[in-house]
Amino acid sequence: MEDILSKIRVLDFTKVLSGPYVTRTLADFGAEVIKVQSKKTEGTEPVFGGYFHTWNRNKRSISLDMSQPEGRNLGLRLVEICDVVIENFSPRVMSNWGMEYTTLNRINPGLIMLSMSGMGQTGPWKNHVAFGPTVQSLGGLTYLSSFNEETPIGPGYALADHIAGLYGAFAVLAALENRDRTGQGRYIDLSQYEVVSTMIGPALMDVLANDREPIPQGNQPDYEMAAPHGCYQCRGDDRWCVIGVFNETEWQALVNVMGNPAWTLEDRFSTLTGRKVHFKPLDEKIDLWTRSHDAERLVQLLQEKGIRAGVVQNAEDLANDPHLLDQNFFIPIEDPVLGKTISDRSPIRFIKDASKDPSSETQLKSSPGMGEANQYVYMDLVGLTQDEYTSYVQQGVIA
Amino acid sequence: MRTKKNILLAGLKVLDLTDEKGSFCSKLLADMGACVIKVERPGGNTSRKTGPFKGQEPHLEKSLSFFYNNTGKKGITLNIEHKEGRRIFFELVKKNDVIVESFSPGFLDQLGLGFESLSLINPKIILASVTGFGQTGPRRNHKTCNLVASAFGGQMSVTGSSKPLKHYGEQTYLTASLFAATGILLAVRKLRMTGKGEHLDISIQEAVASTLEHVMVRYFYDNIIPKRQGSLHWDNLFDIFPCQDGYIQITLFDKWETVVEWMGSEDMAGDLTKKDYLDEAYRIRHLDHISKTIKNWTQKHTVKELFELGQLMQFPWAPVASPQKVVESPQLKDRRFLKDICPERRDIAKKCPGVPYQFEPERYQSVVKAPLIGEDNLDFYEKELGLSTEKLEELSNRGII
Repeated sequence: MEDILSKIRVLDFTKVLSGPYVTRTLADFGAEVIKVQSKKTEGTEPVFGGYFHTWNRNKRSISLDMSQPEGRNLGLRLVEICDVVIENFSPRVMSNWGMEYTTLNRINPGLIMLSMSGMGQTGPWKNHVAFGPTVQSLGGLTYLSSFNEETPIGPGYALADHIAGLYGAFAVLAALENRDRTGQGRYIDLSQYEVVSTMIGPALMDVLANDREPIPQGNQPDYEMAAPHGCYQCRGDDRWCVIGVFNETEWQALVNVMGNPAWTLEDRFSTLTGRKVHFKPLDEKIDLWTRSHDAERLVQLLQEKGIRAGVVQNAEDLANDPHLLDQNFFIPIEDPVLGKTISDRSPIRFIKDASKDPSSETQLKSSPGMGEANQYVYMDLVGLTQDEYTSYVQQGVIA
Repeated sequence: MRTKKNILLAGLKVLDLTDEKGSFCSKLLADMGACVIKVERPGGNTSRKTGPFKGQEPHLEKSLSFFYNNTGKKGITLNIEHKEGRRIFFELVKKNDVIVESFSPGFLDQLGLGFESLSLINPKIILASVTGFGQTGPRRNHKTCNLVASAFGGQMSVTGSSKPLKHYGEQTYLTASLFAATGILLAVRKLRMTGKGEHLDISIQEAVASTLEHVMVRYFYDNIIPKRQGSLHWDNLFDIFPCQDGYIQITLFDKWETVVEWMGSEDMAGDLTKKDYLDEAYRIRHLDHISKTIKNWTQKHTVKELFELGQLMQFPWAPVASPQKVVESPQLKDRRFLKDICPERRDIAKKCPGVPYQFEPERYQSVVKAPLIGEDNLDFYEKELGLSTEKLEELSNRGII
């Protein structure tokens, strides 16, 4: 069967992660993604190594110097042959190139364009400079993801870039649904700051409804009744497990696994409410118990008794996780420069395709070299003659 | 003007059986204009027990997280564990395009409501299952919660200080829901090609493990097991410093000379003006000293001063904003990010966070609401299934609706 998005062609001006994650998601399901790169702006996105390779698999690459008028003309011709244009520049860049949606829509009425800047295309802060950590901080996620108010910590990586990327892919697919029904194109203005704000929705509701300031809760459940609910040290170097107990049955099961120690009979620990109030001494007691245990074995034992427990897995644990390996979550991709590399499968799985036979896996392609698809795109798709093409290359427009 | 033609997912009909693990998925679809029916068990979905609550006292119809995760949906009650309830459910399956569920793997099969059975009734049905570890594999029957998914998915190993830290909120559910919603729209396209529905299997652990940015990349390519390092970003690019009235997150290495010049103009640069510091490797070796000097400087300023001046100089700096500050943000106000709640649900709050995108030519969702328990029962069962008022009353008395 042909791929779900095989008839969809995407012109991709994005860099680094949030934008490339949109186009990687679309490419994973067969969209023809044409990544626009340029020797002149190489510094803004390093193209060697794992980071670029991971987030740009399955895409084609062309080179184009948009700072020249001839480059912008070629850019418009590319828009004519695409269904979707995606960019994550600051708001003025596309309009400075004469590539704002109103213009592009005239050339290609069914065109869908996604702009995903830090702050969105409008508003007093629209030109603010932002990376993943910037919007995580501005959107409240960093403040709340901390052990206390005095030492803000925040996520250990740019989660917001992935979430913005997923919102972007979802919005593009929704716009494509509508286009197929009505023929109408769309412009989508995605704000990464707002993306993060949607991630803390319940906390914002708390402010709006109760005029109350939510504060960081560490590993305590933010709004659920659960105790214990924490992270506990296990035997070995930097080994940890988590345990979450949501009701009396689970608590009794945990008490049993711990060997019915006397402290569990103390009055203050006898109800869920009591345990929640006294979570600090409770966590200390449990931590003393877990320290002498191996994380994997303890979690297995707790799970067998119906208790929600997990191992704090690091990168190495994930790469060797028997469950993920059983699901073929990591798959090899052959790269002409990097050799055999490993990538993660999309978590979007259609059950009929999720056969455990690796030969039935979707064949993922490596990330492209810069300008790798120039001849195909400019000659076969856009329709430049060999002479025109050569001339653009010599002028440094296709470069 | 919002016409039917303008509504992106007009005509897509979704049944939502989920608890907190998948509610956000069908909310995303509802926000785009799909018709989503939240099917709750009589008495209400368990996720109504999650706070915060309006007025802070637990109440099934005053959960703010339930409200937020279910805006734009209609609400009915139905006991699918009861035989008669299942019969009604089959009628609903015939009339809908998508079902989203988050029960433990095998639960729907036990009730005779697995994908195979549903496909017999409606071959075009799309079933999206959001579970802790997916429908197959050795860990499929493990119990999960947001904390367990944060641990098993790898998030906690790289967040925190000496001790691992989970992200605020239920980020693992939100991430899995975004994958599920995207997968549903892919399945809708696939259906047009094949004429057949699909069973989507979304594992929350995989959703977390595939959104770790640098973590697996550095492991597979550089043989590094990334560690926690407090507020210092993994690439050493950002760190958080105290100000007079809060905290600011700033870049330490980007445009170094400009930052030092700025500090110097206030006589606060200390020895950072030394030529040695122009070398990035040298700066990394002396990070503690640099941090101490910068901290002395930031403490003399307000967050607003550093944020505004920094952004003027094109630094990607930002206040470490509390939820209150997010609500008050002039940028979000200008873009009308907070939406009005419809008049009949103002008992909850006046406003609710909206969506992070705007479509042209129309703006979405000016007024929002989430359903009360079984709010649309009468209207829905009468209009959609043609059940009489007497029949409804009887089913209600028997605990089926």
